[in-house]
Amino acid sequence: MNEPMSDAVLRAEGIRKTYPSGDRRIEVLTGVDLSVGAGESVAIRGESGAGKSTLLNILAGLDACDAGTLFWGNETVDPRTATRRRNRYLGMVFQSFYLIPELTALDNVLMPCRIGGTLNAAARRRARELLGNVGLSERSHHLPSQLSGGERQRVAVARALINGPLLLLADEPTGNLDEKTGETVIDVLLGLCSSTGTALILVTHNAAHAAKTGRVLMLRAGQLHHV
Amino acid sequence: MPWFLYLAFRQLFPAGRKFPFFTAISVLGVALGVTLLIVVMSVMGGFGYEIRRMIVETEGDIQVKSPYPIEKAGELIAKIEQVPGVAAATPYASGAVMVLNQGKPAYPLLRGLDLSSVNRVVKLAPYVRVGSLDDLDDDSVILSSELAQSMHIIVGETIEIYSPLMVERLRGDEVFLPREVKVVGILEIGHQQLDSSTVYCTLRLAQDLYGLDAAVHGVNVRAQKGVGEDELAARINAAGLPRDIRAFSWMDSFEAFLWVLNLEKGMIFFLLLFIVIVAAFSVASSLLIAVVRKTREIGLLGALGARPITIAACFCSQGVLIGVIGTVVGIGLGFLALAVRNDIVLTIARLTQRDEELRRFYQFANLPSHTATSDIVTIVVLTILISLLAGLLPAWRAARLKPVEAFRNE
Repeated sequence: MNEPMSDAVLRAEGIRKTYPSGDRRIEVLTGVDLSVGAGESVAIRGESGAGKSTLLNILAGLDACDAGTLFWGNETVDPRTATRRRNRYLGMVFQSFYLIPELTALDNVLMPCRIGGTLNAAARRRARELLGNVGLSERSHHLPSQLSGGERQRVAVARALINGPLLLLADEPTGNLDEKTGETVIDVLLGLCSSTGTALILVTHNAAHAAKTGRVLMLRAGQLHHV
Repeated sequence: MPWFLYLAFRQLFPAGRKFPFFTAISVLGVALGVTLLIVVMSVMGGFGYEIRRMIVETEGDIQVKSPYPIEKAGELIAKIEQVPGVAAATPYASGAVMVLNQGKPAYPLLRGLDLSSVNRVVKLAPYVRVGSLDDLDDDSVILSSELAQSMHIIVGETIEIYSPLMVERLRGDEVFLPREVKVVGILEIGHQQLDSSTVYCTLRLAQDLYGLDAAVHGVNVRAQKGVGEDELAARINAAGLPRDIRAFSWMDSFEAFLWVLNLEKGMIFFLLLFIVIVAAFSVASSLLIAVVRKTREIGLLGALGARPITIAACFCSQGVLIGVIGTVVGIGLGFLALAVRNDIVLTIARLTQRDEELRRFYQFANLPSHTATSDIVTIVVLTILISLLAGLLPAWRAARLKPVEAFRNE
């Protein structure tokens, strides 16, 4: 499924990916075309094992595809050299939060700034502001172990947005949360992306969550289809 | 602060926890190794320093020697004393003799001292345990403690001294009777090698025994404070000494002895360094476990834009931080142990009822200690280097981990 847009923050063309399985290869992605515009929110649904996470890893430049081309803006992405660009261009939210247990919520949010070498007073102000936006102002100095699952995921959302990325990739962000908490996290995620003009690709099983995005795509037989 | 250093520090000292168990154990392992190195090196250095001090005090800083008897000793001394940096000079005669006491022989070194000038160059008086240097005349001797003990000689007894000159005289069919002398003192420097076998006498007696007339075997020289021995020896040699007469610093004269001392110290350092190496293996093992435990976090760092080299630096820094903190703690503990070393040794000796033997064997009123800056620098550099190496393997493992694989292994 290809929806080219003139101001696309991400474009994927003919993405193919296979995995070895014994003496043969399994085709997971058979030619994915995708274009996401600035500030747009897109949900990708699909059955377990359909290749949603694989696609997301390729879009994030974490994994290489066997064929096809990936563009961040107008530049092609090579996973071997994408590391530093990813820091400024992309934000990522994972199902298992992946907070660093030794750091406070505030320091976890600031980690992309530290890695990118952009840590300054303004970044600290923005981190506090983001934590306030996700409702965790009072818990900024708490360790992840002192936070609930929903709170941890909201910290992860704040972290994903700290560098002002053009695109946020969220892989089953509510997968480890109960329904009510998941709802809150999705609302926070969509609200923040909307207010900051950040494009969002949300991989989810949850139809209700997907329906809250601007466009819903289904990954089936290795290709994306409109729902 | 670079992020990898910040995270390394935070992983060792997480917010809200004072001193995590892993960090404490790792730091303690390195610190104990460093403590032991500091204590043993300082005590070894202390023994060496005391021995060196004793050698300088009893032999002088410089020895001016010749393979042949030096005839015009007065002129030579006058010339030496004119060299800048020379505080005083005293002639000596020395050589092997045979001592006979109640039919029991010994073959000590005879050392003839010029009583009018010896005190300006060497400090023998403080080491005379029984009797006095002032009691010495041309018919008496002072014996080193080990020699007196092994021959069962006490002060006041008379002994016979035979010199190699007798052999010469016997060849000429002359009868040369041994010299009977009275023992007027026992001298104990405090080191077995120096105390083992020496007879101290007047220069005149030594000259008589060796048939030197007014000649001497050499001149002991005291350097002025702050003047280096090697530098002064070179200056004396450049002052136009007669042919075959050369000045040697005490370090040249005792080169073999000092070499053995340094070898002993070096060997002990090498052996004790293994404690630090074992501690470093434990650090490496713990960090490797941490890499496995933190697979997802390492993947996350990659996803957040961290390069593999900086992820490696994060784990390597942890090894170095443990090494640095362990070294600082170890140095602190080491100096603390050195400050109370005498209490520790005496307590152990008392508990094992060996305090008398300890005093008799070591002769030092206190356990000596001398910490050389070079030892500290060597210990610090090697410990941190070993800790760095301990962090390299975990760092390499972490750097090789790809984010996507880390997430897949979740």
